[in-house]
Amino acid sequence: MRNTSSRSAMVLILTLVFFAGLIYHTVNLVMHAEEWASQPTNAHLSDHNGLAFAGKILDRNGVALAETVDQKRVYHTDEEIRRACVHIVGDDSTNISTAVQTVYRSELTDYSFVFGLGMPDSLKKGKDITLTIDSELQKAGLEALGYAKGAILFYNYKTGEILCMVSTPAYDPMNVPDDIETNPYYEGAYLNRTLSAAYPPGSTFKLVTSAAAMNEIPDFRTRTFDCTGSVHIGDDDITCFEVNGTVNYQTALCVSCNAFFAQLATEVGAKKMTSYAERMGFNSSVTLDGVTTAKSVYDMSDASVSELAWSGVGQSTVLETPINMAMISAAIANGGTPVKPYFIKSIGGSQKNSASLGRKMMSRDTADTLRDMMDYTVKNNYRLYGRFLNHDVCAKTGTAEIGDGNAHAWVTGFCQNEDYPLAFAVVVENGNSGINVAIPAAEYVLDRAAALYHQQ
Amino acid sequence: MTETLDIVSFILRILTPIIGLIIVVLCFSSLRYGRREKRALIVLDDSATNIRYPVLYWENALGRSKSSDIRIADPTVSRDHAVLLRRDDGWFITDTGSKAGVFVNDEQTTGRHPVYVGDRITLGMTTLTLHRADDPTEANNRQPLISPKVHSTVPIGVILTVITLYFGILSAEGMINMGNIVILPHSVILICLLWALYMISRLIFKRPNFELESLALFLSGSGVLLNAVHDQRQAYIQLISIALGYALFCFMLWFIEIPDRIMKWRIIIYVLALGMLASTLIIGSSLNGAKNWIVLGPVMVQPSEFAKIAYIFVGAATLDQLQTKKNLFGFIIVSALCVLLLFLMSDFGTALIFFVTFLMIAFMRSGDFKTVIFAVTAAVLGVMVILTVKPYIADRFQAWGHVWEYADSVGYQQVNSFIYSASGGLFGVGLSKGYLQYLFASENDLVFGLASEEMGLLMPLLFCAVIGGFMIYSRAVATRSRSTFYSISACTAGGLFVFQAMLNVFGLTDILPLTGVTLPFLSYGGSSMIACWGLLSFIKAADERTYRRPLPTPQQ
Repeated sequence: MRNTSSRSAMVLILTLVFFAGLIYHTVNLVMHAEEWASQPTNAHLSDHNGLAFAGKILDRNGVALAETVDQKRVYHTDEEIRRACVHIVGDDSTNISTAVQTVYRSELTDYSFVFGLGMPDSLKKGKDITLTIDSELQKAGLEALGYAKGAILFYNYKTGEILCMVSTPAYDPMNVPDDIETNPYYEGAYLNRTLSAAYPPGSTFKLVTSAAAMNEIPDFRTRTFDCTGSVHIGDDDITCFEVNGTVNYQTALCVSCNAFFAQLATEVGAKKMTSYAERMGFNSSVTLDGVTTAKSVYDMSDASVSELAWSGVGQSTVLETPINMAMISAAIANGGTPVKPYFIKSIGGSQKNSASLGRKMMSRDTADTLRDMMDYTVKNNYRLYGRFLNHDVCAKTGTAEIGDGNAHAWVTGFCQNEDYPLAFAVVVENGNSGINVAIPAAEYVLDRAAALYHQQ
Repeated sequence: MTETLDIVSFILRILTPIIGLIIVVLCFSSLRYGRREKRALIVLDDSATNIRYPVLYWENALGRSKSSDIRIADPTVSRDHAVLLRRDDGWFITDTGSKAGVFVNDEQTTGRHPVYVGDRITLGMTTLTLHRADDPTEANNRQPLISPKVHSTVPIGVILTVITLYFGILSAEGMINMGNIVILPHSVILICLLWALYMISRLIFKRPNFELESLALFLSGSGVLLNAVHDQRQAYIQLISIALGYALFCFMLWFIEIPDRIMKWRIIIYVLALGMLASTLIIGSSLNGAKNWIVLGPVMVQPSEFAKIAYIFVGAATLDQLQTKKNLFGFIIVSALCVLLLFLMSDFGTALIFFVTFLMIAFMRSGDFKTVIFAVTAAVLGVMVILTVKPYIADRFQAWGHVWEYADSVGYQQVNSFIYSASGGLFGVGLSKGYLQYLFASENDLVFGLASEEMGLLMPLLFCAVIGGFMIYSRAVATRSRSTFYSISACTAGGLFVFQAMLNVFGLTDILPLTGVTLPFLSYGGSSMIACWGLLSFIKAADERTYRRPLPTPQQ
């Protein structure tokens, strides 16, 4: 019988494997519990009662954007502010996957692995979350975009705080429209376009092309170019809006001469262009406050020469996210390295973020040259149209053709005012003119920022 | 009012695992300390060499081989010479094909031959005299050997009271959470069942122990209450299944009481097992892709669950049979037929369980690694052939290891189980308050996740510990059982519980692919519940105390 007994050790090994697996599962669960519990599909959190004991969400001035009163989630009293903040704050559901009420629901509801979500309601103590955004600027951003679809992002390039992050179409979290899933107006309403959408950047990409060219082409600063309104590269004509005549690097950016920058891109070559674009944030995402952004795309691996030429002016297959665009401007303002943007100041009273430098995008010299070019552009072009008269702003617009005769209107830049050192990116879908649509939107927010922060 | 009830429910939830742990510790420690001390029952005395061989077991292999229970260093003794075994009517010796033969008091024996205190047993050149262990001077006293001492450390009444308390707490929590008393009948029936089964065991069958049954009732009862808060009708079926399961348990204990009787029934049981599987294949109905159901009027039966019991019958054997008939040929044929039939039914989970059961039995019988390696190789080849013929089967394993990428399709159950297990924490969100209940097969395939969500992680871990504990206990009594038949069948039944739990829990937690087998005692399913009780009888039978009774006076 001893024999049988010692052979049964084999079966005992099975039991030990079983216990080992259970321990593995337990460790796995403990390590991932918070991430798993806060999945948007978790019905404990996404049902109507999921926020019944959640903490408040406050803006930078302590204004409650969302709070729970008598187990009911209520949002700001001003409907415009509610709509302007919906993509940051979120609604009762978890439809907006990047919103604070989705990503931080476990903090708001005070999740801990020991008690899971099983704490009695009366013992739950949700944490308050304070954001860096300013509800007044949010409102301005929403008003600036109006009924257009688009995105506005303003952030302090010295501290990293995002003050305004508006995405449209927006909706009122307290009266979610019934036709939100079907009405074309609400297409992509759950998307925070500042972080999760990428658009053709158009002429704003000339900043990237310039950065590459000034480092790779020796006579960049001295050469001149005769613009005849178009240039034939590869098997395509790269056209300008008008005949720009003789331009150099500074005037070319000012008049946004496509022929000049297309030429530069082909001279730099696909490999070098890609490497500069990637240093400036293309082909990778950043994660801010638990949200991983969409990727800006610059992929010329299979491109023809004419496609490479078009990429130099932000067309072809190039795509850019508003957040990355704003970070490029912030890098230029900051001597080559951006401060990382963030929108959560504190959770439950403990500070979540502070100013920290991101990856270096360009040399100080490149940054300074780009700043001068943008400054020149504002002074010698946009101001002639009456834009940016009241602000010390360096900027570049873009009008990115999307193939159906329409174009997305862009502007990016930064304000050199000590009181409100803001880098920004604005995109208006089908806005058709950077100067006439995107700049006024940016200026509208900037005016409000000046009124709120000047001499503070 | 709601607030107070909420807090009461919360406190009950924290109490549940504490009381559960107490039950498990009480039962297993009672089982452990209640065992017979390991001491010699009789001794064999070699007067020529003055060596005394203590006889420790109910069945003892005598021979020259190293692994013999009683090893005799005499070149004229065969490696596996004879088996000395104890039955209710005394001690016997069986010649297991030795060269020199076995002589009792100088008379050559054939087959099983009774031996008494003072008898001389001659194996080759060695002659051994049988003595009582405690007092060798009483050599001429021809008396049967005493029964082992039995003592219990924890009174069964205490254990049952704690289990009653546990069921009470669980039901109270469920009723608070639901805001009604629809599960009150279930909890009353459950508690009555607990005590009634004990009374039957104690008064009718006069069995001294009830720890194993208590643990099984702890698991089954938890399953009933977990299910009752979601589906009261199913919970009634589970309660009935427990009662039927206990009936099967008692029948089995009676049936396997005399090891030599079982051996005569083996062929019939083997035909029965194959018949059950084959008839399922012919007249069975499909449900969820596997054709493993037989519909009998209003009742649906899963014969493959019962075939598991029959299969263990066929596999296990007494020591003298193991020694005489060493090849596994017949058993391999039966096993291959069973697995083949299950494959034809597309019941791959059960086929895998049968295969692992085969490995366990084959190894415990032969101790031969070659057989195991050969069988595994054959199985791997077989699976490869099947995957080439039916490639769609491989799709079921597509999500394995990266279920989050398949969160909306084949990984749906696992991902949700993760999400809701995390929501449950250690103490759960409360019975009936979970969301996994709305998923398909939540009460059987997903029961581990369902328990994690509603009762907290500690409870399902405790349930698994009990299942593992059955196995560890089976092994601990392996040398104390009344025959190798019980040792082998108990270890196999325990191993089967563990393996089945492994497939269920690991499938859900993405450690293994999801196979859709039940979690023993906890999952909903009548056939499964009854069969689990049937399997438990093997473990119960391995404990010699189960059949404790006054020994008959021997003839002569």
